[in-house]
Amino acid sequence: MILLVAVLAGFLVGMVWAWMRRQPYEVPDLKHLWLVFLAYLPQFAILYIPGIRQQVSDLWSAILLTVSQVLLLGFAWLNRKLPGMTILLVGAALNFTVMAANGGFMPISPQTASRFLSQQELMDIPTGERIGVKDILLQPEDTRFEFLADRFLPPAWSTYQVAFSLGDVFLAVGVFWLLARQPTGTVYTAKRITT
Amino acid sequence: MKNTLNHLVLSVSKVNRQHIQMVFVLVSLAMLVLGVGAPDDSIGTSR
Repeated sequence: MILLVAVLAGFLVGMVWAWMRRQPYEVPDLKHLWLVFLAYLPQFAILYIPGIRQQVSDLWSAILLTVSQVLLLGFAWLNRKLPGMTILLVGAALNFTVMAANGGFMPISPQTASRFLSQQELMDIPTGERIGVKDILLQPEDTRFEFLADRFLPPAWSTYQVAFSLGDVFLAVGVFWLLARQPTGTVYTAKRITT
Repeated sequence: MKNTLNHLVLSVSKVNRQHIQMVFVLVSLAMLVLGVGAPDDSIGTSR
């Protein structure tokens, strides 16, 4: 959700930027778009479609998730010259590192998960079990690259609660900049009409 | 009926190549960040 907000915010800021410069909005010139569809659709199926998610084992989910992320990293690498893509690429690499090092899923500590779950619910979930969409419950001392895990939270008073990682922050900034930044060039001025 | 059809054809003809390209790019970027990102706001609702 927060990443989709970053996409939308970047697009809206880019539109306003273009409007202020009196030029049409220019979308980033992404190459190899087919690779994103190829990489993401299987991931979407195994993570978000309940019927398929229940049929695929955690091991296969981890393998498919890892392969999907490698392909998406490849796409980001192929488009690395676009503004913002380098930041996005760093975020993707950070998330990939911590997930690959922890069995293919994003680790989250019981302390962080306690923002979402009651103590009783937490006690019912054994360590190492998947929770949420891509997360796995792990003690910090059992987590590799713990500083890259889902360990950040919004203020407790916020009505929207989400656990996110350092990589997610880079991703949000990168995609925002990718969509918001408009090429600097000639500023089109309105024609003066004289009678 | 004919007017409605004409209006529809006119509206569709306004959707040019740039608009379609913009939608594709936005959808692709959304899929990219969702694919490599891992923020979780669904804990407690899906396990």
